[in-house]
Amino acid sequence: MHHAYIDKFAYQDSPVHRLDSRVKFIVTLVFTAAVVSLPRTSPSILTCYAVGPFMILVLGGIPLRFAFKHILLVSPFILVLALTCPLYDRAPVAVAFGPFFWQTSLGWMRCFTILGKFTVTMLALIALVSTTRFSDLLTGLQRLGLPKLLIIQLGFLYRYIFILIDKAHHILRARAGRKLVNLGFAAELKIAAAMLGSLLIRSIDSAEHVNIAMQARGFEGKWHSISRLKIRRCDLLFTLTAASFLLGLHFFVKPMLL
Amino acid sequence: MSKAIEIENFSYAYPDGTAALSNISLSIEHGQRLTLIGPNGAGKSTLLLAMAGFVKGTGKVFIDGLQINRQNLKKIRTLLGCCLENPDDQLFMPTLFDDVAFGPLNMGLDSEQVKNRVSEAMKTVGLTEMADKAPHHLSAGQRRAAAIATILSMAPKIITLDEPDGSLDPRNRKNLTKLLTGLPQTLIIATCDMNFAAAIADRAVLLDKGLVVADGDATKIMSDPGLMTEHGLEVPGRFKNIARRSITN
Repeated sequence: MHHAYIDKFAYQDSPVHRLDSRVKFIVTLVFTAAVVSLPRTSPSILTCYAVGPFMILVLGGIPLRFAFKHILLVSPFILVLALTCPLYDRAPVAVAFGPFFWQTSLGWMRCFTILGKFTVTMLALIALVSTTRFSDLLTGLQRLGLPKLLIIQLGFLYRYIFILIDKAHHILRARAGRKLVNLGFAAELKIAAAMLGSLLIRSIDSAEHVNIAMQARGFEGKWHSISRLKIRRCDLLFTLTAASFLLGLHFFVKPMLL
Repeated sequence: MSKAIEIENFSYAYPDGTAALSNISLSIEHGQRLTLIGPNGAGKSTLLLAMAGFVKGTGKVFIDGLQINRQNLKKIRTLLGCCLENPDDQLFMPTLFDDVAFGPLNMGLDSEQVKNRVSEAMKTVGLTEMADKAPHHLSAGQRRAAAIATILSMAPKIITLDEPDGSLDPRNRKNLTKLLTGLPQTLIIATCDMNFAAAIADRAVLLDKGLVVADGDATKIMSDPGLMTEHGLEVPGRFKNIARRSITN
């Protein structure tokens, strides 16, 4: 199996990778909340906020192309939302950028702010998952008090989603190998339904086997785990730096730009 | 002293009524390496599941003197480790460490003991460096070894393995053979690969259509060309000379 995992850079080694997952998660959460709470008509301040995740990506050795590629992949959903803004909000506003000055509508300002907020928060999220192993993230979330059931579900999802994708690929390849002519929409739909059914049955079969494997190793419904996470001096330093960055932006840069 | 496994007149039928195992009686000594051979659908996997208490039929199954029933099941889980055919079913945790630690944690061991068990098991299968890897980042051979490590960490007296050589290349199969022959536990291995079975087992049980057709010395059973061909199997390479001699005599 060779999937282009979202966390394919999480197994690298860098100062950012070595940070505690709980610290990175909390910083990302606070950062996201700070970005989301910015006024809807202030795209310029977002460039200052973007410095944070950008630095993490650079220090973590994550190619920016990888980050922007993933942002593009999920952008259509936000694009639809952002591009509707100029349609319903046509109030004129004057925009100044250094020596330049031009007229636009409030809708366009909102559109750019939505796209900017989306890009910056996605950058932060990609920085988190690309520098943190998913297993460490789950352990961190568990230590932060997230329900164990949710953690187990996420763990299983991460473990088996790739196997399911593989099985789907095998089925599609088997069909492609024998599909010589286009059978028409109705027939193709029937075939697709049969393929989905087959995938479902295989998944149920796998789930039964996993259940046997769990019971065979003494599982009786109670989940036990060992946490190997430890807060160190560098984690505290990172938290302090992140807090200074966010507070500096909030109290000094933001008032100047808004 | 109690036997490792004692099966008395065990029968099991699938929900649709098809007989999977019929009147099976087996007695396996401690330290024995037994291979269950037979064609596809012979009942090998079902018999392994019955030994682990996952299949309930008629008759009795004893593990190290304990009869499989609801009261004894927890103890039996620590005595008998069951390794499934597909390593992806066996490895369900996000990292190898978590997977190998899963059994010992359920046994109620403390963190230090669990860590020791994990590192010992990983060392035995040669995956010490892989503890933090996700199972989908491992090769087929490594996944197979990791699946065995998940059982070894529980330190069972008996290990059952279902087609452990499936989809392995010759080098990985050789490594697996070396690993399994070096284990002190009682091993029960179900396989269709006669060369693999011949390299590991000292005793063979031939199953076909849910019945025990032959039970005895692995060399004797697997070098009988008539018996093997009759049940859709073949004489393994290493026994071909013995088979030729027996035909000549």
